[in-house]
Amino acid sequence: MIRHLAVRVASLFKRERMERELDAELRYHIDMLVEQNVARGMTPDAARREAMRVFGTMDAVKDDVRDRWLSRFFQVGAQDVRYGVRNLRRNPGFALVVIVTMALGIGANTAIFSVVNGVLLRPLPYQDGDKLVVLHHGQGDPVANDLGFSPKEMDDYRQARSLSGVVEFHNMFFNLLGRAEAERLSTGVVSANYFDVLGVKPLHGRTFVAADDAPGAPAVLVLSNKYWKRSFGGDPSVVGKVFRMNDKPHTVIGVMPPVPQYPLEVDIYMPSSACPFRSAQSTIENRSARMLTAFARVSPEVAMSKSQADLELVANQLQLQYKDFYPHSEFRALGVPLKDDLTRNFKSTLWILLGTAGFVLLIVCASIANLLLARMVRREREISVRAALGATRSRLLRQLLTESLVLAVCGGVLGLVLSAFSLTLLVNFAARFTERAHEITIDTTVLLFTLGVSVMTGLVFGSIPAFSRRVDVAPALREGTRTTHAGQAVRSALIVAQVSASFMLLIAAGLTLRSLMKVQNLDPGFKTENLLTFRADMSFDKIPLTVPQPEARQRRSIYWTDFEERLKAISGVISVGGGGTFPLNETNPFPNGFEREFHPAVPGSPQPQIAFRVATADYFKTLSQPLVAGRPFAATDDAGAPRVGIINQSAARKFWGTDPPIGSRIRGLPSRPGGQPGPWTTIVGVVADVYQQLDQLTPLDEVYVPVRQVPQFGTTWVLHTQLSVEAAIALIKAAAHAHDTDLPVSNFRTLAEVRSTALAPRRIVVSLIGMFGLLALVITAAGIAGVIAFSVNQRTHEFGIRMALGAPRAGVLSMVLKEGLVLVSAGLALGLFGALVLMRVLGAMIFDAPAVAAGPAMPPLKLLVDTTTTDALTYIGVALCLIVVALIACLMPAKRAASVDPMVALRAQ
Amino acid sequence: MAPKSDLLQGTLDLLILRTLSGEPMHGWGISQRIQQLSKDVLQVNQGSLYPALHRLEQQGLIEAEWGASENNRQAKFYQLTREGRRQLAEETKNWERLSSAVARVLAGL
Repeated sequence: MIRHLAVRVASLFKRERMERELDAELRYHIDMLVEQNVARGMTPDAARREAMRVFGTMDAVKDDVRDRWLSRFFQVGAQDVRYGVRNLRRNPGFALVVIVTMALGIGANTAIFSVVNGVLLRPLPYQDGDKLVVLHHGQGDPVANDLGFSPKEMDDYRQARSLSGVVEFHNMFFNLLGRAEAERLSTGVVSANYFDVLGVKPLHGRTFVAADDAPGAPAVLVLSNKYWKRSFGGDPSVVGKVFRMNDKPHTVIGVMPPVPQYPLEVDIYMPSSACPFRSAQSTIENRSARMLTAFARVSPEVAMSKSQADLELVANQLQLQYKDFYPHSEFRALGVPLKDDLTRNFKSTLWILLGTAGFVLLIVCASIANLLLARMVRREREISVRAALGATRSRLLRQLLTESLVLAVCGGVLGLVLSAFSLTLLVNFAARFTERAHEITIDTTVLLFTLGVSVMTGLVFGSIPAFSRRVDVAPALREGTRTTHAGQAVRSALIVAQVSASFMLLIAAGLTLRSLMKVQNLDPGFKTENLLTFRADMSFDKIPLTVPQPEARQRRSIYWTDFEERLKAISGVISVGGGGTFPLNETNPFPNGFEREFHPAVPGSPQPQIAFRVATADYFKTLSQPLVAGRPFAATDDAGAPRVGIINQSAARKFWGTDPPIGSRIRGLPSRPGGQPGPWTTIVGVVADVYQQLDQLTPLDEVYVPVRQVPQFGTTWVLHTQLSVEAAIALIKAAAHAHDTDLPVSNFRTLAEVRSTALAPRRIVVSLIGMFGLLALVITAAGIAGVIAFSVNQRTHEFGIRMALGAPRAGVLSMVLKEGLVLVSAGLALGLFGALVLMRVLGAMIFDAPAVAAGPAMPPLKLLVDTTTTDALTYIGVALCLIVVALIACLMPAKRAASVDPMVALRAQ
Repeated sequence: MAPKSDLLQGTLDLLILRTLSGEPMHGWGISQRIQQLSKDVLQVNQGSLYPALHRLEQQGLIEAEWGASENNRQAKFYQLTREGRRQLAEETKNWERLSSAVARVLAGL
């Protein structure tokens, strides 16, 4: 019997050797045939030919033999599976519990892995996507301190020899006119060969050619697939249509295929010559106009390291040649694979989630192993009988493992179904972090992962009980023998492991939950009720760029003041605030260097930084952001009046200290050498701090300047209104249309919505970790209850004797509870140690998320906010929670133990 | 080559087991021995012989070992296992019953 198994296992693992042997065996046969033929008088050649003819094709014979090996293996396998299924069907409850537990574990892992696979593992769906890099340059760590690229620098980096194409991208919002409603479109402004370098062919029409990018060339557009479908219903005849945009007609020349868009999804693409800002002479000649993102394709056959060296070379030369523009002590350039760049901010979160899901699976494994162990004891007789009838140990092991595998695969399939249902949710979740989210699907890799993990899990939880006991025929067959407690130690160890793993998982859940609560309870410093925000963007051709600055500013100021009046006139609107952005918005104001009058910056030391923001007079009133000193902006603070500003408390504390800020003057400093400083601005007021981003528990240092003095093209408005959102939107749209038919208004959201959107990524991550923790807790509690119940069952006789000898019921109760508590305490101690080690290892990942780099993607989520990894409250809370749950789990079996009737227990013998 | 002797599968197994009942033999030897004993009536097709040998080995009726052949080359020698011997006895009995039954039917006509 053992030989069977040996041959079959050998046929699986020693396939190569068996093949060799088969070859030698058949060759021997042919040689003998040849010899025989020669002996009969044939020439050696003829003899061999004849032998080969007689023998037939060797491959056919080999195939036949191989079929024997396989069919035999499957035959026995099928028999095991049939027997296993029959066995499980006799215990549907047991099978159900195992399969559901397994499905939860596998489901969690498959779901998270499908995200990891789609976002981190799959190659970019572009031609040779691995050769695409994103360029960064800056001081020290070029990714963290990326400066962005100016048109001049683009040309410089095109000199890097190992790059076969260097292309630019920047995102603008332009108004598309000439359709029923003015549309504000997210626009990708790119080099002519952008699509060629990425390797994307158009779906309809053509993409850009070099001539399109020549100065003064007719403006052309390529539509993204999504925008084309959404706005033109997928009509190919849109190619050739002409629309008004900025100050000239634009012709649609092509439509993109449905490929993912990097670095972000835009509606349309235009060549750089069509963008009024990018194509302005002042931009082209300004080495500091760093508005561009640079992509490059590393030449085929060139190693990444080689291209890296070439980039460094360019950076070094730049610094030598233009000392003033690169005053950095350590100016470096870096090409990061596009794939890594797109997921930089999501990676650590994902690995942490996959890790927690892995923990759940370990707990599931231990829990099922325990269930199987308990079941083994009940099957003792069956197994002994089979052994007595001649089943070998390996045959029995194989049978037990097959049963586990059947369970595991059933659980795996159910888990796959669970994760498939959660896919849409996960895509939406990931989309908050990376553009690659839409590539998440359940593909072959995910299926293989699920199958692999299911089988592995099945083998692990199957082999623990299978190997932890000897198959002893004689004692088990003897009637009435108490089964030994050989498995008890293993069962206890498994419970300890489960408790410690659950503890670690719950610590993670607890710490992140504390952070979420801190962020959620944070007073943002402004009201979010009944506030509606939207964007309004003036078309750039309203005031041509050729109009001189003071006059252009004057006209923009009037334009927005008129618009503000129209908004105020809407009945039901209580107050109207306008500005460049609003708190919690995705776009943060950029900090700018500045100096106080009579307090010039110390040469050599870094310039103090403050964020410049624009606001209307009623902005603070609308947001209920209290003015703590001075006065708000007035209507007289207009383009002709002296510049005024209002700082926030944080800036006042940091830069003025005990000096009174009101009446003092500041000015912005140029970001490039030789640039002009901004005009002197008198501080007229101080407002309370608001939190621009919920994760930053320290507010930005800010200075607000009036919209009337520094009017922008794009504005954001906040309306305090009692109107319903729908009614308000309709009225605002009407007001905008009446003001200017070419003024698109978009992005309508209530501030409450904005706040909840800002909180969503953290909430989802915390909910996921929390869900995993809860899952672990429930599985562990069930495991403890199961093991204690089993142990009580086995010891009914012992309890009977104890009570017959006078042990009080309470004594028995506490004895059982103590047994449970010992296991839990051991688990807690181990878990505490594990959690501390784990947090030390993960600390960097959780706290020191890389600094926010330039780019549209959301910054990495700092999982812990204002919470240390050793937060005592969390540790105590989790420990108490586990102890209480464990006690409840032990209570039921303990009560049963205490209610044992000594007479019945002893008579049952 | 002689007309393909389409031996029934069970019959080939029986012949192999019988041939091996004496001493260990390699595949070539078995085919030669069967041909010889049957006075060239039964010619074992290699295409059936080797699959049969491997099947019997997996069923545990025969076992194999590499050894030196008469011409001093490495060859795979097969020999009966205990179970193989039992199977041979049983199959031989079956065969005798069957063939004598067939003979009786033929004689009765």
